[in-house]
Amino acid sequence: MTVIPEDQIEHSLEQSLDYCIKCNICTAACPVSAATDRFPGPKYVGPQAQRFRHERQPSPDESVDYCSGCRVCNEVCPTGVRIAELNARARARMAAERGIPLRNRLISRSGLIGRLGAGPQAPLANALLGFKPLRVIIERTLGIAREAPLPAFSRYTFRSWFRRRRAPQTTNGAPKRQVVYFHGCSANYYEPWIGKAVVAVLEHNGVEVLLPRQRCCGLPLLSNGDFAAARRAHEANVAFLAPYALRNIPIVGASTSCTLTLKEEAPELLGMHSDTVRAVARQTYDIFEFLRMLHERGELRTDFHPIERTLPYHPPCQLRAHRIGRPALDVLELVPGLRLVETHASCCGIAGTYGLKVEKYQISMNVGAPLFETVRRSGANLALCDSETCRWQISHGAGVAARHPIEILAEAYGLVT
Amino acid sequence: MRTTIVIGAGLSGLMGALALAEAGLRPLLLAKGQGATHWTAGTIDVWGADERSPREAVQAIRASQSYHPYALIGVHAVEEAIARFRALTEASRYPYVGGLERNVPLPTAAGALRPAALMPVTMAAGDMRLGGDVLIAGFRELRDFYPPFIAANLAAQGIAARGMYLTLPPAFRRREYTTITFARMFDDPAFRSEIGRQLRAHRGNASRIGLPAVLGLRDPLGAVAHLQNESGAQVFEIPTLPPSVPGIRLFTLFQNAIEQAGGRLQIGSEVIRGEGQDRHLTTIWSEAAARQQAHRVERALLATGGIAGGGIRADHTGIVRETALDLPVRAPASRADWFAPRFLDPQGHAIYAAGVAADARLRPLGADGEIVYENVAVAGATLAGADTVRERSRSGVALATGWAAGRILAGLVS
Ligand SMILES: Cc1cc2nc3c(=O)[nH]c(=O)nc-3n(C[C@H](O)[C@H](O)[C@H](O)COP(=O)(O)OP(=O)(O)OC[C@H]3O[C@@H](n4cnc5c(N)ncnc54)[C@H](O)[C@@H]3O)c2cc1C
Ligand code: SF4
Ligand code: SF4
Ligand code: SF4
Repeated sequence: MTVIPEDQIEHSLEQSLDYCIKCNICTAACPVSAATDRFPGPKYVGPQAQRFRHERQPSPDESVDYCSGCRVCNEVCPTGVRIAELNARARARMAAERGIPLRNRLISRSGLIGRLGAGPQAPLANALLGFKPLRVIIERTLGIAREAPLPAFSRYTFRSWFRRRRAPQTTNGAPKRQVVYFHGCSANYYEPWIGKAVVAVLEHNGVEVLLPRQRCCGLPLLSNGDFAAARRAHEANVAFLAPYALRNIPIVGASTSCTLTLKEEAPELLGMHSDTVRAVARQTYDIFEFLRMLHERGELRTDFHPIERTLPYHPPCQLRAHRIGRPALDVLELVPGLRLVETHASCCGIAGTYGLKVEKYQISMNVGAPLFETVRRSGANLALCDSETCRWQISHGAGVAARHPIEILAEAYGLVT
Repeated sequence: MRTTIVIGAGLSGLMGALALAEAGLRPLLLAKGQGATHWTAGTIDVWGADERSPREAVQAIRASQSYHPYALIGVHAVEEAIARFRALTEASRYPYVGGLERNVPLPTAAGALRPAALMPVTMAAGDMRLGGDVLIAGFRELRDFYPPFIAANLAAQGIAARGMYLTLPPAFRRREYTTITFARMFDDPAFRSEIGRQLRAHRGNASRIGLPAVLGLRDPLGAVAHLQNESGAQVFEIPTLPPSVPGIRLFTLFQNAIEQAGGRLQIGSEVIRGEGQDRHLTTIWSEAAARQQAHRVERALLATGGIAGGGIRADHTGIVRETALDLPVRAPASRADWFAPRFLDPQGHAIYAAGVAADARLRPLGADGEIVYENVAVAGATLAGADTVRERSRSGVALATGWAAGRILAGLVS
């Protein structure tokens, strides 16, 4: 396995701007600059403004804060400029210079929020957050848009379910394979049924699921420029996960942003390149990437019930940034009758916590508009998407239920979750 | 599992992927980024180095330059590719016109005349042999498209041309403008009506109006018809600097056709190496987060472009490499031989013809003419043997060899 040496990463981030030929292909593709005048686009805030960013000098422009981090620009750039990373680092420097607003500190701590809201107190917390006058007050005081889609807390956490359930008996001694499941905040506090579907599908395929301690992957901290807190989060996760990674036990996640953070975002943006950080990165898999690998080895069960449906599928930007293609499509293609149609809309607009912010809410809805239209036009009453915040945004914007593709796969296997 | 792999999303990779998808092989197209479609004019230039028709030139090459890509595949294959391409664009409501019979001189954004064999019908009225008065119109807000400059250069070549700036309606003003910003505005009928009114008011004697090639992304044909109705003159597009709206239209229609036929595109994934055995490529790896993605290969089409596309890389020491599979490259032995003494040397520069040598089935060849991989075909600007800059043949070579390579790999060419 080839590992990019450390200085190569720094080099590719900081010096890739020299490859920029100013073709503006990135600007043409950037969904945010299409939606608002406040953001001049990737070429300007990325490779161009980077020339004016120097140690000990103030940041040359603030518009980079409007970059949602969707990485569409990286995908299309013909010369390989790492624009989104340049922007993320520039934002972090601005945050370090100017401080991080309370609002951003709050919404980037999804682990903390989850612990406060999920559990038996969930109905109360949900009622409060569903109470319009309170949302208006929150908007005025904190700057969290009143209309922004907030998920409902779950009455129980995924971890509490996992601890209490009866683990399946393996029929003939030791199971073939073990994986660590990295559930992330969303499956733990909001959508435990997704965690259950992951476990059911893995166990159906003879894989034992391990659940060591874990913290929020820290992506919201990274995208809000709080690099110090993000570093603490990643250090903690590496400490929890490295013992497994070093024994070549894969770490599998169904939240594409969590897995991307473990693989690449945290190590590269924070400049963390130790052997254990690398071991964790190299062992991390998106759930469908892992299932596709099983299939390539002839180890995936294909005892599917037919599902006669045609559904729109939106590959979230955080999945595209893995650069592994469309693993959910590759696996779900095996289900008889099921047809998924890729949306080709670049971004749903939410970008994690971006669309929650009052000054960015409307931008995020405009960014997502083409996607909402595509979903609505498909006529289906269900859309599929691998990322939680994108699903919430799709439901909010298109008025259609949105589910994780793993739920459909579990259904095809006939697994009740 | 997708084991038919196309590398590169330029015109050659897209044509090849279409051929493979239509043959039922469910190709996976991997590309580092967008191809030259997004940079280029959107015309298909088959041959423009001299006064011969493209057909005559392509036929003659067969005799004189046996290793030229056109010679390898032959006129018939070029014709087949063009026929498929025209049918595709027609079915996508963005038809191309023209062919191998003759070149059409079209104006550039500098007011020069450039020969093209095929062009989108939205550019067809730009044929500068048609005569009559021409109005060139544009926007101050769109950089690098200066109507007075274009018109002056056309006038210097004996064409009755006049240039003017249009006024952007206040409701459409923005802070930054690119070709894409304008294309989205032209998608809006209200914007087109307003621009059409201005054109009618300023048309004067002009029977034709040239506008920057930004007349919409959704339905350019409809946009042009609308502007013609409003203005009372024929309207044509003039290619702009990148990003190219015509190129994006082309990419999108290819993407739809390839996916409809069962193929898949994975843009943003650079291929970094390949491995094979007994002249058979078995696996390739693409760059990805944290670890490379391995792809098992039954057949592969290499269409990574030339030096501009990133498929061939030359460094300061004079080493010329093929970037994806590290195939042998035919190039001048030393850096001193790259260039002819004169910039506009009629013989061209040797480095421009550097690339991967191939046989008649477009299989890559080594230094001694031995086949490197039986299950690989090479297409487009990656191929050696054509100085496509001097020949003005780049998109023609890409289109024709891409289609031919796809058909060969699909086993449809005996
Ligand atoms: C600025 C400019 C203007 C031009 N204007 C004209 C014109 O007016 N008329 C004309 O006929 N021609 C023009 N050309 C040339 C012509 O259009 C292209 O050279 C031709 O289309 C080549 O097509 P291609 O498919 O071979 O390669 P390209 O279109 O260059 O595509 C190469 C593809 O391969 C990908 N790639 C490269 N390396 C790798 C790798 N290792 N792994 C995976 N993917 C990889 C790239 O990302 C890209 O998608 C112009 C070229 C440029 C640069
Ligand atoms: S797409 Fe890449 S090369 Fe083109 S302007 Fe953007 S960063 Fe520069
Ligand atoms: S990451 Fe997304 S929002 Fe940011 S510049 Fe790139 S394309 Fe635009
Ligand atoms: S990315 Fe994952 S771990 Fe991080 S906040 Fe979101 S759900 Fe939680």
